[in-house]
Amino acid sequence: MATVSQTSKFSKIAWPIAAWVVALIFFFPIFWLVFTSFKTDADAVKPEFLFKFTPTLENYTNMTQNYNYWKFATNSVITSTFATLFALIVGVPAAYAMAFDPSRHTKDILMWMLSTKMLPAAAVLYPMTFLTKNMLGIFDTHFLVILVLCLINLPIVIWMLFTYFKEIPKEIIEAGKMDGVSTWGEIKDILIPLAWGGIASTALLTFIFCWNEAYWTVRLTTIDAATLSKLIEGNRAPEGLFFGRLSAVSTAAVAPIIILGWFCQKQLVQGLTFGAVK
Amino acid sequence: MSKRTLPRILQTPSVLLLLVWMLVPLSMTLYFSFIRYVLNSSIRPEWTTPALSNWRGLGNYKYVLDAKDFWFAIQNSVLIVSSILIITVVLGLGIAVLINRNFPGRGIVRVLLISPFFVMPAVNAVLWINMILDPVLGLQGLAVDGLNSLIDGLRDFPILGWFFNLWPVLEPISFRATQTSAYAVIMMVAWQWTPFAVLIFMTSLQSEDESQKEAATLDGASPWSQFINLTVPHLARPIAIVVMIQSIFHLSLYAEIEIVSRGNGNKNLPYLIGEFTSNNIGAASATGIFAVILANIIAIFLLRMVGKTLMD
Repeated sequence: MATVSQTSKFSKIAWPIAAWVVALIFFFPIFWLVFTSFKTDADAVKPEFLFKFTPTLENYTNMTQNYNYWKFATNSVITSTFATLFALIVGVPAAYAMAFDPSRHTKDILMWMLSTKMLPAAAVLYPMTFLTKNMLGIFDTHFLVILVLCLINLPIVIWMLFTYFKEIPKEIIEAGKMDGVSTWGEIKDILIPLAWGGIASTALLTFIFCWNEAYWTVRLTTIDAATLSKLIEGNRAPEGLFFGRLSAVSTAAVAPIIILGWFCQKQLVQGLTFGAVK
Repeated sequence: MSKRTLPRILQTPSVLLLLVWMLVPLSMTLYFSFIRYVLNSSIRPEWTTPALSNWRGLGNYKYVLDAKDFWFAIQNSVLIVSSILIITVVLGLGIAVLINRNFPGRGIVRVLLISPFFVMPAVNAVLWINMILDPVLGLQGLAVDGLNSLIDGLRDFPILGWFFNLWPVLEPISFRATQTSAYAVIMMVAWQWTPFAVLIFMTSLQSEDESQKEAATLDGASPWSQFINLTVPHLARPIAIVVMIQSIFHLSLYAEIEIVSRGNGNKNLPYLIGEFTSNNIGAASATGIFAVILANIIAIFLLRMVGKTLMD
């Protein structure tokens, strides 16, 4: 018995330490990015200033002038916000109908929607460029980026909302029907207040996906509607002379999303596995 | 109004939008894959506008299948995707088991661990290839320098010096080179997606039947045999899902490949499509159709799995 209690005593200390070490290793690159962002470009590449240096905010104050950061950030905010909003406006009624009035095709429709998400984007790269540039003339506009972001996330939005709505007892909705509430009234006064948490986390997750999208936002824009993904990809600085300022602009691009992400860890599982892992 | 009309109306916008989004560009790709279509040609200017008269049949497909780059891209995709899968699943399982118990600061550990997943791909690549992996200025370069000077100092050491004299001078690895760029991509993507695997496995571990484990402990089963015989079977489904979702995402990696080496020594199908698109649209489209077929093979398995749990 003595050995058992010894092992458990050992594991009581060793497990948390191991867990902390692993977590710190995984977080280290992000820490290093933020850390480097407070060094000047010159200090950032000198080994003698690896840990000891005079912190400076100049990389952040010069972000506008070095990278035109706010223009790209504004584009990211606009496109991600409106894409999320439109996806919800289109998705909530669809998910509502699927959850409360399922037909025998509902399952197939949901599966088909998911399958659109799995098409490789690159396969339609040229047609998309051709359509938007030569035919519709909407290349490099906010409208196009919003539309594309909305479309690529719509399947996930509907799927997540559907799994949330399914949890709501049908009787509540039925009761509303008996009282002669209109469909719009049902959605607005009964469904949305009841499923508020689910809708909010769907919105949050969609926003994150939109913000981090790096294929269409880069390929379908040049300047006007270019987002932060495009800004960073365009300033990869291969010679590494600008580690300080590059770190600052990268930190500014990812920090808000990482913090948002902390709040929706739980929903992430559901959103990414389409409810298949519980 | 019949009982079924309203639900249909509510679903129509979503269905229509996705239908157009899926069908229009894809059928254009399909069409372009059967014709001769280039963006610039002084010799055959008629090929620069898409038209049925430029019909090439399966010629583009044959051209792509004969291209060395195509097979290299497939081979390289398999290398990248399978390496990432092995790393993320193994690490993910280990870490999920590690943090699936109560200890001080568990909430913070979870928050730290999940963070890499939210880093945008472009930042991930820029951060790793410059600040961490750069052979001179990055942490790798500094670490190799530090090790070298440490060994150098030890060479003069009495008695043990001869041992350190046997050591070679370490060379940092350039991860932008043809031979190594794929490994840089594997590293950075595995870093980003291991948290995803951890999160899924942890969610699943929490639904594991504890009473079964207690019974096993009473029967004298070791923790290792419990892990192999109870936990791993319980995790079979989440593992399959992690593998499939990641495959679909990683088959279309782009930003990382572009930033690390601009496809030098490290291509996959989307990157090859991008390269063809600069002129040969016919070949780009044929490659696109191959990519769709490949993704579909995986998607069918994934959808089957998801579909089973759908209505309960």
